[in-house]
Amino acid sequence: MTQAEIKLCSLLLQEHFGEIVEKIGVHLIRTGGQPLRVIAHDTGTSLDQVKKALCVLIQHNLVIHQVHKRGVVEYEAQCSRVLRMLRYPRYIYTAKTLYSDTGELIVEELLLNGKMTMSAVVKKVADRLTETMEDGKTMDYAEVSNTFVRLVDTHFVQRCPLVPATENSDTGPPPPAPTLVINEKDMYLVPKLSLIGKGKRRRSSDEDATGEPKAKRPKQTTDNKEPIPDDGIYWQANLDRFHQHFRDQAIVSAVANRMDQTSSEIVRTMLRMSEVTTPSGAPFTQPLSSNEIFRSLPVGYNISKQVLDQYLTLLADDPLEFVGKSGDSGGGMYVINLHKALGSLATATLESVVQERFGSRCARIFRLVLQKKHLEQKQVEDFAMIPAKEAKDMLYKMLSENFISLQEIPKTPDHAPSRTFYLYTVSILSAARMLLHRCCKSVANLIERRQFETKENKRLLEKSQRVEAIIASMQATGAEEAQLQEIEEMITAPERQQLETLKRNVNKLDACEIQVDETIFLLESYIESTMKRQ
Amino acid sequence: MAGNKGRGRAAYTFNIEAVGFSRGEKLPDVVLKPPPLFPDTDYKPVPLKTGESEDYVLALKQELRETVKRMPYFVETPEEKQDIERYSKRYMKVYKEEWIPDWRRLPRELMPRKKCRKAGPRSKKATDTGKGPSLTNPADVLKKIEELEKKGDGEKSDEENEEKEGSKEKSKEDDDDEEDDAAEQEEYDEEEQEEENDYINSYFEDGDDFGADSDDNMDEATY
Repeated sequence: MTQAEIKLCSLLLQEHFGEIVEKIGVHLIRTGGQPLRVIAHDTGTSLDQVKKALCVLIQHNLVIHQVHKRGVVEYEAQCSRVLRMLRYPRYIYTAKTLYSDTGELIVEELLLNGKMTMSAVVKKVADRLTETMEDGKTMDYAEVSNTFVRLVDTHFVQRCPLVPATENSDTGPPPPAPTLVINEKDMYLVPKLSLIGKGKRRRSSDEDATGEPKAKRPKQTTDNKEPIPDDGIYWQANLDRFHQHFRDQAIVSAVANRMDQTSSEIVRTMLRMSEVTTPSGAPFTQPLSSNEIFRSLPVGYNISKQVLDQYLTLLADDPLEFVGKSGDSGGGMYVINLHKALGSLATATLESVVQERFGSRCARIFRLVLQKKHLEQKQVEDFAMIPAKEAKDMLYKMLSENFISLQEIPKTPDHAPSRTFYLYTVSILSAARMLLHRCCKSVANLIERRQFETKENKRLLEKSQRVEAIIASMQATGAEEAQLQEIEEMITAPERQQLETLKRNVNKLDACEIQVDETIFLLESYIESTMKRQ
Repeated sequence: MAGNKGRGRAAYTFNIEAVGFSRGEKLPDVVLKPPPLFPDTDYKPVPLKTGESEDYVLALKQELRETVKRMPYFVETPEEKQDIERYSKRYMKVYKEEWIPDWRRLPRELMPRKKCRKAGPRSKKATDTGKGPSLTNPADVLKKIEELEKKGDGEKSDEENEEKEGSKEKSKEDDDDEEDDAAEQEEYDEEEQEEENDYINSYFEDGDDFGADSDDNMDEATY
């Protein structure tokens, strides 16, 4: 794990779980698998706190435990999973676009809690939806269950590994930690539950019949003595499936930008057909015949078979090679080259970065070297039609930032510099890795800056929150306009200005984080896909 | 060596033309320090994407940030004990739901140990009282005096504890609760000894002039 990634993990853990969990988590990421006592000793935290932190991290699938020989349990952190926490809003939004509010809340609950049983999720989501509905209406459990089942069927939600069912006739002491297993077939098996009920509205007047203070309520609601029917079966969000969806989205929008709407629809159809048949790491989808594609086009699209064939031929001939032709049976067999598509997207990202950082002439040189693979300095000047001095300057600038690298080809065995060819080349993989590292650093900087801005104005923020609370309570009890005005004037005009500026800045920084994360996703997908092929 | 023509004269080992500088030209300055922390950029960054979906994701992100702070998974750092107990702190505490993990899925060593303190002092008391009749009376009396002394010292701090809990009846239940927690030995012993007598511990109420008058009228005796 690079330093930048560790720093980013530390900031994310701190925001989500607090400092103690962050300390333990970062220690595990840095040092790898460690047993409990060593963690407590090395971090200098008390055993109780380490235990609590580990429980939280394991619950959220950030740390796994393994039993090693001699009964020692080791805990290992999953750094890449920690970085996914940055992407939670995007997952939730995707669920909203696909399965509307119910799906959105289901995925949100699963992400916030790490893992949950189906009955718990359904109950909580129904309650939350009921709160937002009009008075008198409630959300039925059945509807939420249906959405849950649909999410499972499309693999967006999957089962967590289970505790193996051991018989009691086991001789010897039970193992210090359960080894969790999951069968491929069972991962998307929904238990037969009959969840009947409706969401409850949380009204303070209804439930507290005895008038006990609010503090007592949490203890009361957990007093469910009914046995949970699906006890032990936990579900988690399947992040890989979301990533697959994002990748498909990126490919479709790239095709739409390059060609037109119709071709992007065709590509979208092809991707949809291959969703369940193609494993997530495959370099290309299963071959699809033109007839199949024609049958599966969305209902609204009225293009004839010939037009479809023409489009497919165009797509297959395109130099970007998103779509390839793999055979002629069935009217032509076509595949989508996922790996090549990701490569093109990563390359486009790199080119765009070079252009925005160094200018369009630099970008021209970059694209030239990319196309020609290896070029000498003189050749670069000639092909790019840029004066020698400027070309040199630009090449060295890009070289110092590691977008371009130098390849030495010696003429003599002693590698004498005067008798060696120095060729400029672009290695997309290493440039992508370098850019990914920079992105992680950017996001870490953004988070730090946001925290700094918030801390600077902490006093003002607290004051404005208090004033809002006062106004809200006064409005609830029915106050006059004049009184509300008076309270609002507690915040002076320059303070209001300051608050506005703060809000704008924080929004901007947050939006930056989200968009840098999109770049991180593209680069990571490309690197992962390339590593799988090697 | 053989290639060293003209001792002391600067000679490049490679063809300077190839790198782009003609002979005799002034070379650029050597960089003596790391690059600046905030370097000037020639080109301004491209503006951010805006739109409905971007706004929605932004709102989601900010809500999520607030929500995670209220979840039971957010482990608060225990604050250092402040000198003065702030009154407002009692009422600003955010009541979080308790989260109990599914212990079947976790290694056994992660469960908080319920230290069975009951066994220790109880057995000690049992053996003490067992030894009681065998000891001579003076020893018994001495022991009783010691216990009373300890109880007297403990009374004041007990009162404060009681006031914090806010009710006298709860003291017994709190004893039981504290036994389950990994409570410290001294606290536990005090509570244990409390149980033995019949006197009400917080004899003095909050509003009474406890301590205020004691300095002045030492002779405010019991009539």
